[in-house]
Amino acid sequence: MAVKDVKTKDQHIENLAKIVGGAQSILYKKEDLLAYDCDGFTIHRHLPKAVVFPKSAEEVAQIVKYCNEHDLPFLARGAGTGLSGGAIPLNGEVIISLTKMKRLLSVDLENRRAVVEPGFINLKLTHSISNKGYYYAPDPSSQYCCTIGGNVAENAGGAHCLKYGVTTNHILGMEVVLPNGEMIEINTNGVLDPPGYDLLGLLTGSEGTLGIVTKITVRILKNPEAKQTVLAYFDKVSDASQAVSDIISAGIVPAALEMMDKTAIEGVEAAAFPVGHPKDIEALLLIEVDGISAGIDEQIHEILEVCRRRNVREVKVAQDEKERERWWANRKTGFGAMGAISPDYLVQDGVIPRSKLPEVLERIKQISEKYGLRIANIFHAGDGNLHPLVLFDARKPGETEKALAAGSECLQVCADVGGSITGEHGVGIEKREEMRFIFTDEEIIAQTNIRDVFNPKNLLNAGKLFPTPGRCVEVKRNEKEKMK
Amino acid sequence: MSVRESDLKQAPACTVTSLGNYLWSDPPDESKWADCVHCGMCLESCPTYEQTGQEQHSPRGRVHLIKSVAEGKLEVNEAFADPVFACLDCRACTTACPADVDVGGLIEEARGQIRQAMPLTGWKGAVSKFFLEGVFPHANRLHLLGSLLKFYQKSGLQKVARKTRLIHIMPEHLVEMEAILPEVKQPVRKKYKHADVIKAKGETKRTVALLTGCVMDVMFSDINEATINVLTRNGNDVVIPQNQTCCGALHVHAGDRETGRKLAKQNIEAFKEAEKVIVNAAGCGCMLKEYPELFREDHEWREKAEQFAAKVEDISKYLHDTGYEKPKAEIKTRITYHDACHLAHGQGIREEPRDILLSIPGVEMVHMPNADRCCGSAGIYNITHSEMAGAVLKSKMEHVPEDVEMISMGNPGCMLQMALGVLKYGRNQKIVHTVQLLDWAYQKEDRLKEGKSWR
Ligand SMILES: Cc1cc2nc3c(=O)[nH]c(=O)nc-3n(C[C@H](O)[C@H](O)[C@H](O)COP(=O)(O)OP(=O)(O)OC[C@H]3O[C@@H](n4cnc5c(N)ncnc54)[C@H](O)[C@@H]3O)c2cc1C
Ligand code: SF4
Ligand code: SF4
Repeated sequence: MAVKDVKTKDQHIENLAKIVGGAQSILYKKEDLLAYDCDGFTIHRHLPKAVVFPKSAEEVAQIVKYCNEHDLPFLARGAGTGLSGGAIPLNGEVIISLTKMKRLLSVDLENRRAVVEPGFINLKLTHSISNKGYYYAPDPSSQYCCTIGGNVAENAGGAHCLKYGVTTNHILGMEVVLPNGEMIEINTNGVLDPPGYDLLGLLTGSEGTLGIVTKITVRILKNPEAKQTVLAYFDKVSDASQAVSDIISAGIVPAALEMMDKTAIEGVEAAAFPVGHPKDIEALLLIEVDGISAGIDEQIHEILEVCRRRNVREVKVAQDEKERERWWANRKTGFGAMGAISPDYLVQDGVIPRSKLPEVLERIKQISEKYGLRIANIFHAGDGNLHPLVLFDARKPGETEKALAAGSECLQVCADVGGSITGEHGVGIEKREEMRFIFTDEEIIAQTNIRDVFNPKNLLNAGKLFPTPGRCVEVKRNEKEKMK
Repeated sequence: MSVRESDLKQAPACTVTSLGNYLWSDPPDESKWADCVHCGMCLESCPTYEQTGQEQHSPRGRVHLIKSVAEGKLEVNEAFADPVFACLDCRACTTACPADVDVGGLIEEARGQIRQAMPLTGWKGAVSKFFLEGVFPHANRLHLLGSLLKFYQKSGLQKVARKTRLIHIMPEHLVEMEAILPEVKQPVRKKYKHADVIKAKGETKRTVALLTGCVMDVMFSDINEATINVLTRNGNDVVIPQNQTCCGALHVHAGDRETGRKLAKQNIEAFKEAEKVIVNAAGCGCMLKEYPELFREDHEWREKAEQFAAKVEDISKYLHDTGYEKPKAEIKTRITYHDACHLAHGQGIREEPRDILLSIPGVEMVHMPNADRCCGSAGIYNITHSEMAGAVLKSKMEHVPEDVEMISMGNPGCMLQMALGVLKYGRNQKIVHTVQLLDWAYQKEDRLKEGKSWR
């Protein structure tokens, strides 16, 4: 392709275009920018100043250096599947899209690690190594599309993280462009637990506010020898959650232990990957165990027993890989499936002690009645990560605000019972204020002080993750005004 | 700048302007985009997003833009038309989307608006008018193959056509086979012009009508012939309604929905008597099944279109569902299967053709990764967007296994594009239609039975 020049009156656009090699690697016309006005969180929308598509870490560093020198706000974007607004250009940022940096750089089976560029898609890693008997464990439901860079930023989790841990447990090293344009490497040789501060841990889950990740060394695992999957239908939520507790107390560590409630089941059954779940059950459990072949059958036997003791209506084991895949496709497309029963949804992401589930679901039901909005619940039951999905219609005046308020109340409930306001989707824009449910002003300031060490001018992804201390009332009011 | 800045700057999702910028009838359907929850699960399925990495070239981005025009935030202009027309119509996003958003339908409706708001001018307009209005709907004109070759010139397909003579896109040993098959020189519509019905061999179990297709019957009449052979062998009387016409897919893809409706009406009438309409071109089959979409605003025709659409069936699914005689002769070959977009994504047909191929003794199937990824053919896309089509083809060819002799599929458009790919990337696979292979197996069986030599 010939390099086309960019012709605008904006000097910054022209200069940025020069860094990334011309017109095909930069968007700056308003019509083109519209597709970047939000991510998977659609309640806030802002246009970026431009979107640039660097092809290398060096280009990223040059872009960042340029923005830093000229005080242009900027942020990184992967696939834009984030659910808390982390990639929304609140301040008219220059978006640095990493979709052109999507190579698998190396695979080292002997030492069980792989090196990827940040735009590499999560599921592609497993696809690239599965024929050799390996896989990448963190499996967010969005894994068909989300980038590993985005996973690192959000410390993404997934159904199978119950046994194997979330993203942070699988990151061995990374290369990062700091907000001043300096490029650093953290533990790129992948040695376990290096001395000194755990910078990897700090950067993982920092929601793109400390630096832009340009290369990642991840851990890969050997495929389990055997795998069995169980589907159980319950007439009572309390029975289903008791079953969850019983399974864990029996000493079984399932690879995955998922729950969906009645409204969620209605959604997935109306959508693209129906399984044929009965519509009148209150909850279903999807349970998977894996590991060495010996012992798997006993575990399954025990799980079936537990379910029966807890009055399961029907329980079955997947007969083959096809059936198993169907069950998982149904579960993993659960959020999007809500589109089939509601024009919009707001997904919340609370964490609760497992034992509190029946109580929490009861209170969520009250919230749902109070606001007159349906709420579906999808739950990583094994680790207590609850996703209430507030269903609403943004075209109806006032419903968006109601949905936001209902979502916030759900999080309050989670915090009240001793849980947290986010399990895996991050705080972003969405839950800035709810940070106050679990942190004091001092604790928040301590964290923003850390941010300031990396990001002193706060040009990188400003306005995310933390409420502005002391000005929270004002922030809230602004929020409300924007809604009007 | 055509965008209203005030609207773009701050527009929370909850304020929807009632004034839309779609000014013509038959606009994109609000209920279609209302299902989109902006989750992004469709991104990776989209070939144009894969190539560009840019979201305005993704299904989610396109839906967002189409919706923004309706909300009055964007106008129907060049910048809007670009991503809408760069869509391949491959429908992979429809498969990927958990909320079942009909992205393809929205795109076609939006194209209809664009073409009315800003009619094509210059050479693109001339080419498009010449073929869409002047050639495809007219069987006799189509038979002037010369003009068609001109049509394929720009995309480089002409070379393929010359080199392979189209009819001979098959392996060496099968070319020999082909030599002993009844020579097909003329379109089946001409050949059977005076036959009311082509009788089943043996007892008649069912009667079906065949859509011969416009390009199909001229360039690939041997596939139509194979389809007829396979149908009659399995107890079907075959009728070829003479006043049938082009399915209109190319017109609808190009935004000319008016001509699309005209052709649809003619076909609905032509097949009025039929109980089953058999199609061997995935693109056409998909279009016929979507006729009701064209008549959203015309209740009477919508009903007729729905009745018609319910009768349409792809040949592979029809054979699979009604049962077919398993061939006994062996065709020893290693083969891979490419899912035509309009079969896999458009009609949900994936296993049936594979089952048919596997039912032929001697056929060994090699899995093609990303088999349901678009090849870039997409109607006249490879003329209007040759650069993108080329890039999509390149990535398709990278997935074709090295060690196979044939690539089988169920759509003539794909066959041409894949033949081009084979030529362009110095590969040596041959391109066959699924029913062709089944037909050859039957033919071989018969020859052997008659004691004649096969080779
Ligand atoms: C249907 C659906 C299901 C989901 N399921 C899950 C789930 O099961 N578990 C889960 O954890 N999440 C889930 N998510 C949320 C989301 O997919 C994850 O947060 C994912 O990690 C985001 O990746 P992305 O590439 O889309 O990042 P983006 O949305 O583009 O960005 C997210 C954040 O990361 C930052 N960022 C992106 N790339 C980089 C980089 N290279 N360096 C620094 N910062 C960067 C951005 O600035 C932004 O703040 C789901 C989302 C959807 C829509
Ligand atoms: S089209 Fe479907 S998959 Fe794509 S963003 Fe919309 S709802 Fe999600
Ligand atoms: S039809 Fe194909 S090219 Fe068009 S948006 Fe969908 S996936 Fe992309």
